Amino acid sequence: MDLNRLVSYSLRIGVFASALLSVVGLFAWAAGGFNNIAAVAGSDIAGTLSSAVRGDASGIIYLAIAILIATPVFRVAVSSVYFGLERDRKYVLISLAVLSMLIFALISRLAA
Amino acid sequence: MLGPVDVLVIFLVSIVAGFIGALFGLGGGVLIIPFLTLVEGVPVPLAVGSSIVSVVATSSSSAAAYVQDHLTNLRLGMFLEIGTVAGAITGAFVAAFLPVSALFILFGLILLYATIIMIRARGIDFPANVRPDKTSRTLALGSQYEDHSLNKVVKYEVTRTPLTVFMGYFAGVVSGLLGVGGGIINVPTMNLVSKVPVKVASATSNFMIGVTAAASASVYLLRGDVHPLLAAPLIIGVAGGALLGTRVLKVTPPTRVKIVLGILLAAISLLMILKGFNLPVVL
Repeated sequence: MDLNRLVSYSLRIGVFASALLSVVGLFAWAAGGFNNIAAVAGSDIAGTLSSAVRGDASGIIYLAIAILIATPVFRVAVSSVYFGLERDRKYVLISLAVLSMLIFALISRLAA
Repeated sequence: MLGPVDVLVIFLVSIVAGFIGALFGLGGGVLIIPFLTLVEGVPVPLAVGSSIVSVVATSSSSAAAYVQDHLTNLRLGMFLEIGTVAGAITGAFVAAFLPVSALFILFGLILLYATIIMIRARGIDFPANVRPDKTSRTLALGSQYEDHSLNKVVKYEVTRTPLTVFMGYFAGVVSGLLGVGGGIINVPTMNLVSKVPVKVASATSNFMIGVTAAASASVYLLRGDVHPLLAAPLIIGVAGGALLGTRVLKVTPPTRVKIVLGILLAAISLLMILKGFNLPVVL
């Protein structure tokens, strides 16, 4: 499988899963009588994510958002593995540089 | 507080934004931000945070189609992402400390400048006699694509790469600050500075925007500036609209693409400047 197709599939699957969960989340919101949902921050997001299992509307939508943000990150990771298999050292370094910045954004305390 | 009607309206608008975004290599944020702040009265940080999440959806959705069509230059995109991602993290961080009005004026001016260059320059759909620079040669950035409207394979080289990477950083900063994709800067830069054909520039920009927006979206998400009831209709709407938009780009002639893009960019830049001066902007 070439890189074009690999990248294309991983993007499609990520966006589709995220959009589908967004629909499910909105239906759960409607089923719950359109109760107000608030945005959460930092470590509270982990708690909200786990509430998705119980069918909580907010949790399901946060899961959709998390999958969506993870999609391009995953695409970069896939590319770096691909370039590694191709023994293309320059592009392994380039994709790893991008990947490490993305991981930095996810774990950094810049948000605080 | 957002009710079912707000969510439905946001959903419908985001279909249009996704369609236009995919058509022009923009993330769709340029349309979503004015709509959310001016029409729906959403506070700027929440509008930016929720918009940037939807930008990930638009970009990834249309990027998937372009990548499969081999319109995207994966190597160039990956290399330029070093600049755009670093910029996005900077922008998302700085956004919390800067006055919004100044940013909107700056944004409007940059956008207007990019529009003028774009309209003035002609015949860069198929750049000829382009000599690749050292970086471009080392990284083998030159490539080719099949133009469906002309039924021929177009070969191209990439030049002045370092300047385009620097501009990419700047595009990333704008993306992180204002919740747009940064395509407004990336497409003209790749096309006019690096001489990449406009269709390839547009497709490659879309590809880069997903990763750029994911970086700033992470920062906004952790900060609590992504609202679920804004994000959900935006994600569904833009992903759907982007799917439609990518189908149109394959058949529209390049010149028409550029003229429509120019008019759109000019209108948005004026809107941004007016907003920056706190003038009442009516949509």
